Amino acid sequence: MDPRTTTSKREEGRRTTPRGVSRRTFIKSAGILAGTVAAGPLLSACGAIGGGGGTSGPLKIGLLLPYSDIYAVLGESITDAMKMYFEGIGNEVGGRTIEIIAEDTQLKPDIGLEKARKLVEQDEVDLVAGVVSSGVAVGLRDYFHENKKLLIIANAGANVLTRAKKSPYIFRTSFSNWQPNWPLGGWAYENVAKKVFVSAPDYGAGHDMVSGFLNSFQAMGGEIVAEPQFTPFPQMGDPAPFITEIQQAKPDMVYCFYSGGAAVTFVKAYGEFGLTGDIPLVCAGFTVEEDVLPSEGDAALGAKSGLHWALQLDNPTNNAFTAAYKDKTGKDANVFAMQGYDTARVIAESLNAVEGNTSDVDQLIGAIEAVEFPSPRGTFKFDPATHNVINNVYVRDVQNVDGELHNVVIDDLGEFADPGDDSKG
Amino acid sequence: MTTSVARAARRNRWAVPALVLALVAVPFVLGTFEVSLATTALIFAVLAMSLDLLVGYTGLVSLGHAAFFGFGGYVAAYTAIHLTGNLLVVLPVVAAGTALLAVVLGFLALRTTGVYFLMLTLAFGQMLFGLAVKWTPVTGGSDGLAGVPAPFVGIGPMSYAFTGRVRFYYLVVVAVLALGWFLIRVVGSPFGHALVGIKDNEERLASLGYDTWRYKMAAYVLAGVVAGVVGALFVFFNRHAAPENLFWVVSGEVLLMVIIGGAGTMYGPALGAVLVRLFESYVSSYTDRWQTLLGLLFVAFVLFAPGGIVGVIRRRRNRGRAPG
Amino acid sequence: MDQLLPQLVNGLVLGLLLFLIAAGFSLIFGLMDVINLAHGSFLLFGGYVGLTVIRSTGNFWLAVAVVPLVTGAVGLAIEVTVLRRTYTRGHLIQVLLTLGLALIAADLMRWNWGAYVESVDAPAALAGLVDFGGVFQVPLYRLAIIGFGLLLAGAMWVVLERTRLGAIVRAGVQDREMVAALGIDIDKVVAGVFALGTALAGLSGLLAAPVTSLYPGLDFDFLILALVVVVVGGMGSLKGAFWGALLVGMTDVLGKAYFPEFSLFAIFLIMAIVLLVRPQGLFGTREAT
Repeated sequence: MDPRTTTSKREEGRRTTPRGVSRRTFIKSAGILAGTVAAGPLLSACGAIGGGGGTSGPLKIGLLLPYSDIYAVLGESITDAMKMYFEGIGNEVGGRTIEIIAEDTQLKPDIGLEKARKLVEQDEVDLVAGVVSSGVAVGLRDYFHENKKLLIIANAGANVLTRAKKSPYIFRTSFSNWQPNWPLGGWAYENVAKKVFVSAPDYGAGHDMVSGFLNSFQAMGGEIVAEPQFTPFPQMGDPAPFITEIQQAKPDMVYCFYSGGAAVTFVKAYGEFGLTGDIPLVCAGFTVEEDVLPSEGDAALGAKSGLHWALQLDNPTNNAFTAAYKDKTGKDANVFAMQGYDTARVIAESLNAVEGNTSDVDQLIGAIEAVEFPSPRGTFKFDPATHNVINNVYVRDVQNVDGELHNVVIDDLGEFADPGDDSKG
Repeated sequence: MTTSVARAARRNRWAVPALVLALVAVPFVLGTFEVSLATTALIFAVLAMSLDLLVGYTGLVSLGHAAFFGFGGYVAAYTAIHLTGNLLVVLPVVAAGTALLAVVLGFLALRTTGVYFLMLTLAFGQMLFGLAVKWTPVTGGSDGLAGVPAPFVGIGPMSYAFTGRVRFYYLVVVAVLALGWFLIRVVGSPFGHALVGIKDNEERLASLGYDTWRYKMAAYVLAGVVAGVVGALFVFFNRHAAPENLFWVVSGEVLLMVIIGGAGTMYGPALGAVLVRLFESYVSSYTDRWQTLLGLLFVAFVLFAPGGIVGVIRRRRNRGRAPG
Repeated sequence: MDQLLPQLVNGLVLGLLLFLIAAGFSLIFGLMDVINLAHGSFLLFGGYVGLTVIRSTGNFWLAVAVVPLVTGAVGLAIEVTVLRRTYTRGHLIQVLLTLGLALIAADLMRWNWGAYVESVDAPAALAGLVDFGGVFQVPLYRLAIIGFGLLLAGAMWVVLERTRLGAIVRAGVQDREMVAALGIDIDKVVAGVFALGTALAGLSGLLAAPVTSLYPGLDFDFLILALVVVVVGGMGSLKGAFWGALLVGMTDVLGKAYFPEFSLFAIFLIMAIVLLVRPQGLFGTREAT
């Protein structure tokens, strides 16, 4: 090492001793500080969360979504679809021009909360929408609940947000993790097999989904051939040992929930090890949704999944939505984009109903509760008891349609509202 | 040399009161969002200072400092939810808990040095993260522990609750000044000089009769406890303990703050932490490429200004003062 | 049904996959004494470049030829422009510099290739299943990985132990003047080693892609695996990287199969245990500083 650097480093080390700060100056400054803290109560008015809510000027909508990190695709899909809907109605609702302020939450609850504070307190948005990760949503819940600010969740599915931690100020346009799975459990028992092997990632959503599926499946008499397989989250790593375990357990059917990268990893390995077509795969719809299906390829063929939407669901609203989305982005729509589209429409319909006035939160909540419209997924409406959307659940089958893989709807299980408690898994 | 030190001392005489006044003034001049930003920035400032005690002074480059930050947060959340939010109870419990953790981990990690130490601390951090995600009944699993009550001090009617943004901000200011002052005293003490001796040449110090292992252990525990305490404040501020606070990415980010600010200077990492937090918060609102910009900034510092911001300032000052 | 035998095969496959992942890192550290935390980025970059080649030509083997050239060239450019400045300044600077490069690379790759998960199909010649007596089946490509790994280990052993290159580089890192006095341009040799190591990383990324798929964040997953492997095996030792990879691979697979509760930290646990018993790793001869 260069001797000169060493000397200068040592000098730096010496200079760090706090000669400039005598104990007395420190105590003096601390005294000033203590005085101010004692005066804290006087300041509490200044600490109250203001902002938001108005009757005129632009309508500001804050978006909290991941734009970096592994769920960036979800964030982008939701944003694109929301903007597309608003453009379609001339970027105006209730007589106010729409202004969107989007913030990147990454997947970190503390960053999500910091961005929420920025949107509400600095940008003074009228309401906030978005949120992909359940961890972020749970972290945000108290902030919105205690400050009486509106949050419309466009993805995060944690059951608890509709149950023990539900809030009058929080709506959800997407799903609760229970919703697609409980109906699927009964359907799978009747239509696929009576003995199942269960696999899911070891985190909140994985447990939510599995318990919803098993609750109805076992109530009808279905059996599990082995303890549910909970795989490491967030990274599954090499899936081979899990697939081998399934192969050796020889179940009549496999149920799984995976999303994003883990879905591709799991389903591809399922195909590589020759299980596709050999042991029927039943799964929560996200496992084979349009965002991952092209990468999974033929390994996903024949997978039956439960979800509240499908790309090729045949109704006029969906046909218009999917065509417009493909036109705008060049990609096929996915369920996340659909949720973004509906979220935008919920905002538009309710704001029109209150004529753009967001200053009366209770009135606006009432207007959102009353929203009902034809959605790409069927009829969109909220359950007023939980503020969670009531979803029509479809069973979809991965088929090769004209050289492309798609989820073809093979059954319509009807409407399901989350039970609002843990009685059904 | 003597005159320059005296001159520096004279110039810096008002630095601390000015800093305190500036911190006190924040809620009066800025909005509630900026107050919250300042709160988290201050918390990370102390976190970075505590890591600097290891990286900059003792020469132990840890990539697992988030373990203490996150663990302290979980202990605080658990205690506050199940027992009491009284800081006079919570903070001692957090300090004792993180000290115990640091002794156990330090006992294992300090058997190694250099890259091996870095890897072992990373491994311990990831194990704790894994535990937090798995041990749902205690940790709340991947969703973390939400619903942490507001902290307070005192007994019965004589208590003072830190509800509201501004009160909590002042709590953090007091804690940050106290902990910052404490750390600066530590590195200025004979103990601190011994740590620098270990960093420069551990064998020489050992041959002088120092039990270097004990010194390293003491530094490791001290850094861990400070990180745990600010971790507790962070959780009280967010009212939510999340497993992400334990993830290695947080450890990496704090290391980044230390280097950008200037390792081995204490003031530098604090400054680095504030700048990085502000950078992330403001730049990410304008561009999705903020990670590239942060990375470039970091690389530039590593290559051209390894002394960090403080190093640059000092060099410039010294150059300005050099006789012509 | 006993699953031990198929799980042992899975462990062998993962072990050699991990060796592929760690090889370039180990080579660069062993010869140059440089800790390259951007190693995972080169792996993912190689995978993505391969993906682009395969998408446009449909030829996996062409990608195998192109990828090392591209990642090696990028590695060379980085060595010449920035890395070279750090050789006299210690490991910490290198660790931080390459960490910064990894952060930038992660963001740029996500920008260019998007955040979707991209899968890479195994070449047609290596598709299909191999049946082990009707008891279990293993995909042929996974068995091929065992072959790739052994081939690479053999080639590296020959280059390092049987040619002059290894001796020259190692001597050059120890004593620049001495090697320069022999008329060897040590700067060029060191640059060449880094290019070789990064070319190897790119190739490994491509070979791993049919198993791992490609997605943002895979770079850091790769990096952590490579670090665990070389730390367990002993930094800078080829033998260590090989046996370390097998040990970590087996631990991961058997941990997942038999102790799923601990699967998330099984490999970190084995690393901690090894380091506590032998702080320099299984085959390490010295402590890295």
